[in-house]
Amino acid sequence: MILQLNFKSGMPIYLQIVDQVKAAAASGELRPGEALPSIRPLAEELRVNRNTIAKAYTELESLGVIETLPGRGCFLKENQSALRMEVRRKLLIEEVDQAIVQAHHLQVPREEFLALIHERLDALDAKRRAHEDHKEDQ
Amino acid sequence: MNSPTPAIQIENLSYAYGRAEAVHDLSLTVQPGRCYGLFGRNGAGKTTTMKCLLNLLRPQRGQVHVFGLDPAKHEVEVKRRLAYVPDQVAFYPWMSVRETLDYLASFRAHWNRKIEQELLERFQLDPAQRTDALSKGQRTQVALVAAVCPETDLLVLDEPTSGLDPIVRREFIEAVIGAYQQGVPGQRTILVSTHLITEFEGLIDEFTIIDRGREVLTLDADHARERYQKIRARFTESAPEIDLQAALRVRRDGRELELIANGSGEQLVERLRQHHPESLSTESLTLEEIFVATLKA
Repeated sequence: MILQLNFKSGMPIYLQIVDQVKAAAASGELRPGEALPSIRPLAEELRVNRNTIAKAYTELESLGVIETLPGRGCFLKENQSALRMEVRRKLLIEEVDQAIVQAHHLQVPREEFLALIHERLDALDAKRRAHEDHKEDQ
Repeated sequence: MNSPTPAIQIENLSYAYGRAEAVHDLSLTVQPGRCYGLFGRNGAGKTTTMKCLLNLLRPQRGQVHVFGLDPAKHEVEVKRRLAYVPDQVAFYPWMSVRETLDYLASFRAHWNRKIEQELLERFQLDPAQRTDALSKGQRTQVALVAAVCPETDLLVLDEPTSGLDPIVRREFIEAVIGAYQQGVPGQRTILVSTHLITEFEGLIDEFTIIDRGREVLTLDADHARERYQKIRARFTESAPEIDLQAALRVRRDGRELELIANGSGEQLVERLRQHHPESLSTESLTLEEIFVATLKA
């Protein structure tokens, strides 16, 4: 998993790390049970404060994405959200609404927007399949 | 709940060299565990401020406290808990690197030999080399080794990377992240003064920009990048005359407008949108860009 930070995105650095780990988990780039890089080498590589990485990992743990095994490090958990379906829906609705507002301002019509959603879902599936095939090959 | 004692507290500090005022009414607070940047141009008053913390200068007005203590009254206790890398590093020229480190270690109650070894290897420093034969970069590296090994609660870095080549600068910062920030997250505090802001970007939690001895801006780094935005709009015809008072700076070039916003980004974007630009983009300013925008405004 290679993380890439962007100081011009306006998004707090620890949240960029949180989002990228979540994306890597969704695409299968990072598999359940796999270890995340430990804090020190990752901080040195990204040249960020260690507290920032620690904060990102704490956030990922509270979201149920990773778990910390004392003395062993952080690992990706099986994707089992602890939240009830309605809560999960509500969280997703906020994100979808934002994308819809953005689509409006960019003058992307309804049909095209829906097609784009399908396209992106297919792209993620394809990425996940590629990672799985690669896993079987090994 | 009581908030923890700040690692550093500066209140209304003023200092003048004769009639030349170097620091004027400066206040700032560094909470423990934070990495705090003191940004300013050459001669802005950064070094004077740091010297007051180290009791190398006595504040003429105002007060400074390190871990709640007055450095003038509790010099030993304060110096026990901090390490300092000055902008001009000087060693006894006849000593070798090994002797220099042993000499500096003799003043410390604690010295981490393992980290010392690790850093000497990382910097490829020869312990047998005399310090007068070291390059400027190597001298700074030895000073950093000496500042990291006592594992103090506070590390004060005064323009640590100026005048060093890019490779040495990178290694310096990686060593600060890797070796100094060791242990329980949130235990080690860093105060770094610099005008080379880009390379410290990821390390800085909070910063104060000073100019001619005065505080210009103090912000949390994430908030700063959220607040300061560069907005670019291109129109099909020449850029319309719009009320853009809210912008910190406006640049106009034919069909294009470039604004620097300070907190009013959304409002400005909305206003531009009403004129249907053919393209509209925003990006955050980096800390260095914020520094430049603030001092030029």
